[in-house]
Amino acid sequence: MITGMQIATTMPSPSKGGGPVDPVFRQIRDLVYKVCGIFQLEEKLYLMADACGRRMKQLGVHSPREYWDLLTVHSSRDAEIRQLLNEVTIGETCLFRSPPQLDALRKVILPELVEDKSKQIVKRLRIWSAGCSTGEESYTLAMNMLEESDRLLKGWTVEILATDLNDRSVETAKAGIYGDYALRSTTDYFKRKYFSPIDEKKLQVRPEVKKLITFSRLNLQDDSRMLFMKGMDLIFCCNVLIYFDGPSKAKVIDHYYTNLNLGGYFFLGTSESLFKLNDKFHLIHFPGTIAYWKPSLKSGKL
Amino acid sequence: MTTSIAATIRERVARIETMPSIPAIFIPLLELLNLPVERVKLDEVVKLVSYDNTIAAQCLRVASSPLFGLAKSPESIKGAVISLGLRKVETILLTCCLSNAFPAKSWALDPTLFWRHSLGCAMVCRKFSDKLGGGDGDKAYMAGLLHDIGLLVSCIAFPKELTAAFALANQEQTPIEEAERTTMGFTHCETGRALAEKWHLANDMLQVIAHHHAPEQSEGAQPLVALVHLSDLLCRMRGMGYGYYERRRVDWVADPAWAILQKEHRNLDGIDLVRFTFEMDEAIEEVFGLVSTIFGGTAARN
Repeated sequence: MITGMQIATTMPSPSKGGGPVDPVFRQIRDLVYKVCGIFQLEEKLYLMADACGRRMKQLGVHSPREYWDLLTVHSSRDAEIRQLLNEVTIGETCLFRSPPQLDALRKVILPELVEDKSKQIVKRLRIWSAGCSTGEESYTLAMNMLEESDRLLKGWTVEILATDLNDRSVETAKAGIYGDYALRSTTDYFKRKYFSPIDEKKLQVRPEVKKLITFSRLNLQDDSRMLFMKGMDLIFCCNVLIYFDGPSKAKVIDHYYTNLNLGGYFFLGTSESLFKLNDKFHLIHFPGTIAYWKPSLKSGKL
Repeated sequence: MTTSIAATIRERVARIETMPSIPAIFIPLLELLNLPVERVKLDEVVKLVSYDNTIAAQCLRVASSPLFGLAKSPESIKGAVISLGLRKVETILLTCCLSNAFPAKSWALDPTLFWRHSLGCAMVCRKFSDKLGGGDGDKAYMAGLLHDIGLLVSCIAFPKELTAAFALANQEQTPIEEAERTTMGFTHCETGRALAEKWHLANDMLQVIAHHHAPEQSEGAQPLVALVHLSDLLCRMRGMGYGYYERRRVDWVADPAWAILQKEHRNLDGIDLVRFTFEMDEAIEEVFGLVSTIFGGTAARN
């Protein structure tokens, strides 16, 4: 029995496969979905509970119920939800983060876009990585495009625009240096082909990959600059809008709709939803992933 | 389909000796399931099941699995009904019944994949029907469970042809019904229909089996057929398909099935499809667990 006592912690955060999760965490999950549009699956509810546990420790709050009050009735609730989001999405970024997105891109979307645009004189694809953080997503996209350069994209020019609000992130992204953690999902094939080692622990993205990408600072809420981001075929904006309030989010998404070419696609993070924010986009399912589509002329469903 | 193909199918379905015969308790069980739960007498169910020891034993094994989280394994069907509820036991029984009607030997497709897809679809149909409200969740479940039964018929009546169709579908990453049409000239919808006629299944189930790939062609029960069609697509996009990557995009709202359901259910547009998809992902583990309890074995996800 003594062993049992020692195992018990003061934090009511159940670990994976541990006891039942306090129903309050399910309530918090639903609240976070309602406010931010990011959903935590039941089987990953323990992650939400862990994140709450960390916040509770920092705040000196003792019960999940008390923490729920901070998220709902307290005057600082908006700030607290954002703090909690930081905990929930912590350490998630890595290269090749969502294989189903990449499969959909290469197996379904690229063939479709290439066919649709084949009659245009300038064979060019424009991709925007909006909220690129430290560049993991942008380089992943660039490498996957390069993989197609002798096949589907033969004779095509690919431009990737990668933007972030944070100057320091943009600088880190430009350097393109990553350690084991960021490269945990990158196969040896890609590591050998597109990276050069700089020391024992770190790899740097090669110039031919960097050449595809233009990194710059951009505030997604800067309407006048958003108007200039035109002619996109694909927009990726993963786990960025969850930090925005409803009206700002709706405005950014309206911009994205305008920024996209007809027949273009917009990807959110794998647990995010656009529900009720925009009814012009079509929700499209691909195996294991979803995207939002701006209908093309030939679809007759504008 | 030409009349000669229809005749061939009917002839093979009628002639083949290994053709599944309908389990004696199947139709009566189906009828019980169609009754409102308060009109079903527990004793009737118990009596029916006592005719078939194999099915009773299988049902108890499933009921005792960790999936249902019972503290004590039920020792009788009556005990199982008391601890799990009538509807749950009925669906377990029907599933066991069907799996016994089609002994899995040298199938053209992995039986584990088939049952994961069928049970998964059944579960999604019920959830979808519940979300729409006003419908009959149990009937939707049954429809989902039976929709692809034609694949089992084809496994037995046209084994070589179906094997070729699956090989083509795997190779080209196309939907199985398209590959069947290319290689065989007909699909599991037609062979399923022949079985449904032989078994004298109710018209709505027959319509589901015959038209779940083109609900607009069904004669009667269109909303049910449309619901199964959309649920089937969702399963295939979310890891409960036929074990290979289907190179396709699914646009639910632009699907003719959506318009059919819209006429019947005003609240359809109010459903958060992304959240529905996430919730369905949560049910996958349950389905996989149920299938491995009934059949054992493992199969690749897709």
